[in-house]
Amino acid sequence: MTGPVNPIRNQFIEELKQSGFTDKQIVVADESRACYGYDATRQSADPMLVLLPENGLQVETALQLAAKRKLKIFPRGAASGMSGGSIPSSDGIILSLTRMKQILEIDQENMIATVEPGVITGELQEEVGRLGLFYPPDPASLAFSTIGGNVAENAGGPRAVKYGVTADYVMGLEAVLVNGETIRSGNKCVKSVSGYDLTSLLVGSEGTLAVITKILLKLLPAPETVKTSLLAFPSMTAAAHAINAMFKNQIEPSTIEFLDHHSINAVRDGLPFSLPEEADTVLLVEIDGTATGVLSQSQKLKELFKDDALLLIEAQNESEREQLWIARRRLSPAIANLAPHKINEDIAVPRSAIPEVIARLENLSEKIALPIVCFGHAGDGNIHVNVMLDKDDPDQARRGHQAIDEIFAVTLELGGTLSGEHGIGNTKSAYLDKEWNPATIATMRAIKRAFDPDNRLNPGKIFQQLERYL
Amino acid sequence: MTTSPWQQELKKCVKCGACMAVCPIYRQTGREEMVARGKLNLIERLNDKNELPPGWIEAVDLCLLCCSCEENCPKGVKITEIIADARYRQTEQLGLNPIKKSAFSLLKNRFLSLPRFLKAGSFLQWLLWRRLPRHSGLVRRLPLPGLDDKTVIPALPQKHLDDYLKKRQTPTSNLKPVIYFPGCATRYLYPQMGLDLLYVLELLGFQGVVPKELNCCGMVTWGAGDQKSNQELKQRNLEVFRKHSDIKEIVTGCASCGHALKEYEDLPQECEILDISEFLFRHREKLEELVGTDKLEKKITYHDPCHLRKGQGITSQPRWLLKLIAGENFIEMRHPERCCGAAGTFGLSHKEISREILAEKAHDTDATGAEIVTSGCPGCLLQLTEGAVVADSKWQAEHPISLLADLLRKGVR
Ligand SMILES: Cc1cc2nc3c(=O)[nH]c(=O)nc-3n(C[C@H](O)[C@H](O)[C@H](O)COP(=O)(O)OP(=O)(O)OC[C@H]3O[C@@H](n4cnc5c(N)ncnc54)[C@H](O)[C@@H]3O)c2cc1C
Ligand code: SF4
Ligand code: SF4
Repeated sequence: MTGPVNPIRNQFIEELKQSGFTDKQIVVADESRACYGYDATRQSADPMLVLLPENGLQVETALQLAAKRKLKIFPRGAASGMSGGSIPSSDGIILSLTRMKQILEIDQENMIATVEPGVITGELQEEVGRLGLFYPPDPASLAFSTIGGNVAENAGGPRAVKYGVTADYVMGLEAVLVNGETIRSGNKCVKSVSGYDLTSLLVGSEGTLAVITKILLKLLPAPETVKTSLLAFPSMTAAAHAINAMFKNQIEPSTIEFLDHHSINAVRDGLPFSLPEEADTVLLVEIDGTATGVLSQSQKLKELFKDDALLLIEAQNESEREQLWIARRRLSPAIANLAPHKINEDIAVPRSAIPEVIARLENLSEKIALPIVCFGHAGDGNIHVNVMLDKDDPDQARRGHQAIDEIFAVTLELGGTLSGEHGIGNTKSAYLDKEWNPATIATMRAIKRAFDPDNRLNPGKIFQQLERYL
Repeated sequence: MTTSPWQQELKKCVKCGACMAVCPIYRQTGREEMVARGKLNLIERLNDKNELPPGWIEAVDLCLLCCSCEENCPKGVKITEIIADARYRQTEQLGLNPIKKSAFSLLKNRFLSLPRFLKAGSFLQWLLWRRLPRHSGLVRRLPLPGLDDKTVIPALPQKHLDDYLKKRQTPTSNLKPVIYFPGCATRYLYPQMGLDLLYVLELLGFQGVVPKELNCCGMVTWGAGDQKSNQELKQRNLEVFRKHSDIKEIVTGCASCGHALKEYEDLPQECEILDISEFLFRHREKLEELVGTDKLEKKITYHDPCHLRKGQGITSQPRWLLKLIAGENFIEMRHPERCCGAAGTFGLSHKEISREILAEKAHDTDATGAEIVTSGCPGCLLQLTEGAVVADSKWQAEHPISLLADLLRKGVR
C-alpha cells in the first residue's frame, strides 16, 4: 500500500503543523488512511491524507490551507452512511469530525442543546434524557452515527411520523466554507426570519456546501411513558386502512413500523410469540405521551381493531416491549440469509400509496425472478426495499439493476422520492434527473457553485460528474 | 504472513459501524483503525503480505478481546477469533512483541507452572509490594518497567487453593459431585473465593471436585496468539474431563474460564460448562430457602465481566443472585456492560489505555455510592481493586459468591 511520496502533500502537512496540528491529528501512514476510506455502502478508496481537527478553528485552518493548493476535502462523521456520502477520492483529504464531540451546552430554559458535529446521537439523547429532556430523531444508527452526519443527511427514524426528522430540530448552525471562512445561521429564537434560511439549505446538503462545526438543536420535554403494540393484518391494504383509522380516531402513534409477508416469513421462527398463518402484514405501533393520554389512546386502539386485527399484543412492561421489537430488530440479519447480497433502497411515498407500491413491487419481484423484501416506516411512507440476489451471478446482477430502475420509476410515478433517509451520495446520483426537472437541478447546481466554485468540497456526491455539474 | 483461514468470515463485515458504539479502545483512541471495522479491514487487506506495517501490528495488538463488538455486530462476525488468529500468524512471523513478550512470559509461566515458580521465590523478588489497608490488593513500592506505583497485584496468598483442598475434609456421602474448575487466578491469587464457592455448593448438596491435573483454561495464551500452548492446555483439560466423564456438570466462578471452556469443541458428551451464577439459578428454590430473609446490609453494585455478558450471554442470573444477597441494596451502575480494561495481559502491556478505560469504570462505580463492587471474574476484581486505588475511592471488589458465602455462614451460625 505504499504510494509515491507526494510533494504537495508533504508541503501541506508542513503548513498544517506550523498552524498547530499535532502529529496525532494528521494521519499519513498507508494502513491508517486505509481505514478512513469506506462507509456502510462498502465502497472504499484511500484518501491521500486524513485530518482529525479538534475544533472549528482547526477546521477553518485546514480549509484555508487546502484552498491555497486547491485540494479536495471530504467531510466524514462516523461513516455509517448508506449512500457513499463520505467516500473520498485518492487525491482527496478526509476531514474526520469525530474528535469534535463535545456537548457545549444544554440550555434547559430554552430547551436547546449546542453541540459539536462529532457528538454521537445516542449519547446526546442519553445526556438530555438525564435532565428530563428529549431529542426525538432516532435513526437506527443512533448509537454510532454523529449529529453532524445526521444533519448532513437529514436523518430520520421510526419516530418521524409524530416527531419529524433531524431538520425539524436544527435551530441554527455554524459551518466552514470551502475557503475557510465561517458562516452562521439561525439562533435560539423560535421565530426567526431574517435573511435566507441557510440552516434549511445546509441540512441534508451531504457535506457538499460547507463543513458543519456547531449545531443548535431543539429539545422537547421527555414523554412520560410509551406503550408498544403489535398488530397483524391479512393484507397490506387492511393494514393501510388501519393506519388511516388510527389518525381519524385521534390516535397519534409515535411509531408505526411495518413488515411485509416476506419479512414476516424471514423472522417468524424463533419469535417469542406466535403469529397466525394468515398474517400478511405486521404493524408495530408505539404511542407515547402523558400516562393518561397513552392509556386512553391505547384503549381506543384495542377497541378499534379487536375485530379486524388477526393478532393484537400490547406490551405490559419493558421486557415485553423488547420482545415485540425483536421481530423488527432481527429483520436485517434474517433477510441476509435469503441470498448472498441485497440491493437496498430507502424510497418514500405518501402514506396512502404504500399498498400500491407494495403490490407493484410484488409484481416486479415475479417479473425479475428475485425476492423483494419490504419493511420500514408505514407511518411516514418510508419503505426499505431489499432486492435479494447473488451479485456474482451476472444474470442476477443484471436483473437486480433492472429492478432498481423500476423501483424508482414506480416510486416517482406515485408521487414519492428516491430517498427518504439515506441521501443521494454517489450511489443514487445517476437517478437525480429522474426525480427533478432540468431547471430544478440547474438551480441546485447554481447553489453548489455559489458555495463551492471549484467543486472541491465532497465532489462527486448528489450530482454526477463535473461536466454535468458545471 | 500466511493467509487467514477466516477469509469468508472477514467478508461478512458490511462496514456498518455498529461496533464503534461499544469498542472501549475506540472510545479512548478515537482512531478508526482501532475499532473492529478498521481492524478487520486491515487484516483483510494485508492478508498474505510479508511486510506488516507498524499500524497493522498496533491495531491487532490493541484489542481487549472483550467481545463487545461481537455482541453488537448485526452480522455476527467472529471478530475476536479473527483477531486472535491474526496475532497467531503475526507471532509465527515476527515472534511476540517485546513488551507483550515479557509480560506474557511471566503470566504464561506463572499459569503453567506457578507452584514451582513461586517456590523458587523469583516471582516475589521480581515484584516488590506494599500492603494497602482497606484493599485486598497490593500496590508496588518500587518503579519497575511497565508498571507504575498504582498497579495492584493481589496479596500473594501464603497458600494456594490446592493446599487448602489437600487438608479439607469433604463429607462425600449424600453429596452429588460436580467438577469445579477454579482457574489460575482463583487457584493462586484468590483461593478464598474458591473455598467460598465450594462451601456454597456443599450447602446446596453438591461436592465440588477439583481434579489436581486441571490446567489453565487457555484464554490468555489464545489471546496472545500462542495457539500451540492454547491447544496443549485445552487437550490436557479435556483429558481430565474425559477421565471424570461420569460427572456431567463443570462449574466455574471465573467468567474467562467459562467462556474459554464453552468454546472447547470436543467436550465429552452431555458434559456441560456452567458459570456459578447459572448453576445457582438452577437451584434457586433451595438457595432462596437457605438465604431466607437475611440480607447484606451494605450497598453493592455490579460490573458485567465481558466474558460473562458478551462471551456467554449471561446477564440476568448474577443480578438475580445479587438481589437475593442484598435486596434493595443492590444498585445498578451506569454502563455496567462496559469493559473495565483488564483483559488478561492487556492491562500490563498497555497500561495507559487500560487505565483510561478503568477510570471511566471507577467513575461509574463511585457514582453509585456502593461500598462493594461485585463481578464474576477474578481478572475484573483485580482491575476494579486497582480502580479504587487510582480513583482514591473506598470500595472493595468482591466476587458475588464470597458475599453469598458470608451471608450463609452468618445464617448457619
Ligand atoms: C445499520 C444502519 C442503520 C441506519 N439507519 C438509518 C435510519 O434509520 N435513518 C437514517 O436516516 N439513516 C440511517 N442510516 C444511515 C446513516 O447512519 C445516516 O445517514 C447518518 O446520518 C450518517 O451519519 P454519520 O455520522 O455516519 O455520517 P457519515 O456517513 O460519515 O457522513 C454522511 C454524510 O454527511 C457528511 N458529513 C458528515 N459530517 C459532516 C459535517 N460535520 N459537516 C458537513 N458534512 C458532514 C459526509 O460528507 C457525508 O456526505 C443507517 C446506517 C446504518 C449503517
Ligand atoms: S458491527 Fe460487525 S459488520 Fe458492522 S462494521 Fe463492525 S464488524 Fe463489521
Ligand atoms: S474485542 Fe473489544 S477491544 Fe477488541 S475490537 Fe472488539 S470491542 Fe474493541
